[in-house]
Amino acid sequence: MIGFTLTEAQMTAQKKAREFAEKHMKPYARELDRMPSPHFDWKIVDRFASAGYSSFFIPKEYGGGGVDYLTVAIVCEEMAAVCAGICGVLGATMLAANCLKAGGTDEQKKKYLSLLAEKKGKLGALAITEPAAGSDLGGVNTIAHKDNDSYVISGIKTFISNAGIADLYIVLATTDPVKKYAGLDFFIVPADTPGLSAGKIEDKMGMRASQTGDVILNNVRVPAENLVGKPGTGFLVAMQALDLSRPMMSVDALGIARAAYETALEYTRKRVQFGKPLFKNQAVAFALADMATTIDAARLLTWRACCLLDSGMEFTKEASMAKLFSSEAAVEICSKAMHLMGAAGYTRDFPVEKYFRDAKAMTILEGTSEIQRRIIAQEL
Amino acid sequence: MVFREIGKRIQLAREEKGLTQEELAVKLGCTQSALSNYELGKRRLYLNLLNEIAQVLGKPLDYFMESPAEGEEDRASGLLIDPQLKEILISAADLPPKERQLVLDFINWRKSQK
Repeated sequence: MIGFTLTEAQMTAQKKAREFAEKHMKPYARELDRMPSPHFDWKIVDRFASAGYSSFFIPKEYGGGGVDYLTVAIVCEEMAAVCAGICGVLGATMLAANCLKAGGTDEQKKKYLSLLAEKKGKLGALAITEPAAGSDLGGVNTIAHKDNDSYVISGIKTFISNAGIADLYIVLATTDPVKKYAGLDFFIVPADTPGLSAGKIEDKMGMRASQTGDVILNNVRVPAENLVGKPGTGFLVAMQALDLSRPMMSVDALGIARAAYETALEYTRKRVQFGKPLFKNQAVAFALADMATTIDAARLLTWRACCLLDSGMEFTKEASMAKLFSSEAAVEICSKAMHLMGAAGYTRDFPVEKYFRDAKAMTILEGTSEIQRRIIAQEL
Repeated sequence: MVFREIGKRIQLAREEKGLTQEELAVKLGCTQSALSNYELGKRRLYLNLLNEIAQVLGKPLDYFMESPAEGEEDRASGLLIDPQLKEILISAADLPPKERQLVLDFINWRKSQK
């Protein structure tokens, strides 16, 4: 289990992802980040699809690439190091796929994971959060009424990644509010189902290449077989899907931290003050040494969580530790990198200010740092 | 927390079946300490394992998910999430007490017909 070397296939995947990010993400990252209002670039989907990334995380039997979680992590680190926002479009689809993987019946997986794996590139969205239900799912107000052979769903979902652009929504709703957690279920809702629409699209501080917003369900009717798995399993499936996605959030944070560190390293080696490069001052070099060490630690925690996941072992605590550590580290490293670069780091001539804005999202999305600490503490 | 409630119910169902932690752990293919952590809510358990536990202990899946009996007030506030029930309550509130009783009688009569 303990090993620090990647397989040949993983190294190839890493190299390919690095090239992809350089060629197909980097040229657009800055422009997408600067859009004055929320704007989604559909070419992101085409580029992911043509390189096989829109489905590489879906099992082979459903038409995907079938790679392990560690490979997904290695690939996403390369992408997030260039633009976490663009990478987030993929992450949201992965989250929806994880929900189906965790709770779906064989028929549902076959039908809908295959749909997400379609060659031309499809997007998924997992709709859990509501105005009154974030970390506490007991507050879910979206109601699903059974009506003969179908369910009729009504409610509002908020802060949903890929809202308005997803092909497939997996929506958490209550079939019986009295039962609280036991009444929760996920429903598969194709985007073209009448009554489903996108509401307000958020104007976010960072992660601007990805689209986040409200999803409105107004008497959305889906066949009863669209209830994910068995009735009453929504809570457990939500927990498992979020746990499965945590190492991926961790890796996004790791990628951002690495990019900020690399930018600061290059800058301080070139910038001359008092007759020598900034890096020649121990105060600067030591700060970079600390950053490099923290990034390595974050990577090891993330890879461990992925290895546990891939080998079918318990991973909940380790996944939360990775996400907590990497996301907090990313914010700190971006802040330090900006400081080392002085006024230059504070301007838009350098990407560190973008990394800083993107990094903050990592400590909030898919379970805040406090929620991660709570999960870890429960297992102590 | 939900996992603690689920854990309590596992313990209850296990004891009802007359199994020790060790015996159930063997049937599930996990260690006794892992099972103990599930019962204490210290470890998250996922759907697959809970399905297996439900099968071994001969209980439906909902048994483990249901929250312990709640007071009438909790039940009422939960029900009010439903817009239709809310409308019924608000409309009934506009009626004088005698007529409210008629509505209640009608509801009870409808229920008795089923």
